[in-house]
Amino acid sequence: MNPLSRKAAQDRADEIHVFQRELQRLEQAQVLTLDAQQRRAVTDHHQAVLAGYAASFDIDRDVRAKQLSLGMRVASFLGALALAASVFFLFYQFWGRLPTPAQVVILLSAALATFAATVWMQGRDETGYFTKLAAMVAFACFVLNIAMLGQIFNITPSDKALLPWAAFALLLAYTCDLRLLLAAGILCLIAYLSSRTGTWSGMYWLYFGERPENFFPAAVAMLVIPQIIRHERYTGFGTIYRVFGLLTLFLPMLVLANWGQVSYLNADVDVIEGLYQVLGFAGSAAAIWVGARRHWPDMVNTGVTFFVIFLYTKFFDWWWEIMPKYLFFLVLGLTAVLFLVVMRRLRATGDTLPGGETAA
Amino acid sequence: MTGSRRRTLMAGVALILMTNAVALGGAAYNRSGQPEAVLSLTQRELQLPYAWGGKGENSELALGLQWRTLGMESDNLDNLSMPYLSIGGAPDWLDKTKLAALGFDVSLPEDTDAGRRHYDKLLSREVLLVLEMNGPAYRRALERTREHSVREQALPGAHRGGKEFEQRAQRASEQLKREEQDNSRLFVIDAGVDAAALRRQYPDNQHYAIVRGQIRPRLSTRQKQTRLSGYISDLSNSHINVPLDYHGIFGLAGSERSDNVRYVVSVAFGKRLEPWITAATDK
Repeated sequence: MNPLSRKAAQDRADEIHVFQRELQRLEQAQVLTLDAQQRRAVTDHHQAVLAGYAASFDIDRDVRAKQLSLGMRVASFLGALALAASVFFLFYQFWGRLPTPAQVVILLSAALATFAATVWMQGRDETGYFTKLAAMVAFACFVLNIAMLGQIFNITPSDKALLPWAAFALLLAYTCDLRLLLAAGILCLIAYLSSRTGTWSGMYWLYFGERPENFFPAAVAMLVIPQIIRHERYTGFGTIYRVFGLLTLFLPMLVLANWGQVSYLNADVDVIEGLYQVLGFAGSAAAIWVGARRHWPDMVNTGVTFFVIFLYTKFFDWWWEIMPKYLFFLVLGLTAVLFLVVMRRLRATGDTLPGGETAA
Repeated sequence: MTGSRRRTLMAGVALILMTNAVALGGAAYNRSGQPEAVLSLTQRELQLPYAWGGKGENSELALGLQWRTLGMESDNLDNLSMPYLSIGGAPDWLDKTKLAALGFDVSLPEDTDAGRRHYDKLLSREVLLVLEMNGPAYRRALERTREHSVREQALPGAHRGGKEFEQRAQRASEQLKREEQDNSRLFVIDAGVDAAALRRQYPDNQHYAIVRGQIRPRLSTRQKQTRLSGYISDLSNSHINVPLDYHGIFGLAGSERSDNVRYVVSVAFGKRLEPWITAATDK
């Protein structure tokens, strides 16, 4: 069966390499020996599969290729950000020297041309690295397009601009299988949903960050989306939704657990902080449990990180002033050891559980 | 090109064109017909950016609207005379009754714990603000500064040998000069939620413009009494873009910014209360 995505093809290729190495060991230990015909059949089949994947998905066929790919991914990510920034500053450098009609035409043309170039490149770039560069530049041009029109015509700033930006980033992400653009689209969506939540209470949209609870509906949306929309064809999309969802949930909780006065709740500050500390612990523990059950390492890791942050924040509040520093850090170290023991037991329990759902 | 890529291309192009159409259509609607108001402003009310003409990487030119508020009579005059007041202000008319009219929940008494907690949590709302150009509010500010100057000038005579009083007299004289010649004459004098009602109240659209801005309630304590008042945080459009045709009036690109640049700019406010420059001349 043909895999749906580059990641699935790469996983299958890695499994083939593991199988070949293990077969070699079994033969050396004389546990299993294939005759010449069987060996040729297996080898031919694997070579055909790998050649097909290499042609369709440009997978890494060996360890060296994998290492080079990692370097190319890093270069492509940094290059995409740098090119986007370059476009941004290039326009700022010269746009004041252009008459208004020329400004409008250039802004619109740049957005259209870079988008068309991205789609064109996607059909020719099997690696996806150059498509990522082009897509990021196209996104920067579109953001610049709308932001600059706002400045040129003194349009009242509005959160509604975040919606087309999100739609454009998601279109590029899903078309070109680009996680960077997915992250950009998710950030725009989170900002839009949070500002809308803020305006329900009557506040001016730009101040939505002053009430961390405004982020909770967006967090729920980001956690629910990968449950509704399947992402088997896309590399790591489900992970990105879940991680952003958890960050959008736990970061505001962390703020509220320490600065209760910024909450919507009209209660005593200590009560609010206590409430969000409990919610923070319960939420991050739940994330670890769900992540372990459903075999989502991203969720487990994010949950563990926040559980530790919530715990250490409380330790700091309780003991930093009253404990000698050696004792304080000893307690932190012992807590980490205890945590490792618990996690090891959880991992052992997870191993015995029937197979959960793999990453979406 | 495959069908999938063609569909993507069409969807993306449609999204870009539609978003541009909405933005440009909104701008065209704002500028259609007769402007809602047209104010004649000078360098006192429209400030050049500090980096303009320098070696900055932004070649844009946008003028900052310098607006002020008239505080209570007992306010420190130093605050009133500062030329850079468009960073917020608490005018005397923005009281509890006005805040209620603007939609804020002011039902709790401000001198209780529950009330203080409630008002501390209220955030800025976007409302409509009335800008008055060179009207009674400015004249009152000028009058206050003159009265203050007269009082301060009398101090050295009454307190012989006091260097401090001479300095105060000199400072008051400089404040008066700034108020007469440099400070902005653009004051926020009222707020509301209904543009038509505000225009009926201020029909002179050559001296009064309605704009969007943000107001936030705040508690202050005067003479041991807690009082709820409003604070104007900012205008939603606090900068006005200058089209290339007018750049020459504000100094040549590449030269250093000069504080001596004098200009008169006609600023129109359209159907969506968004401003734009309709004319500019140097003085």
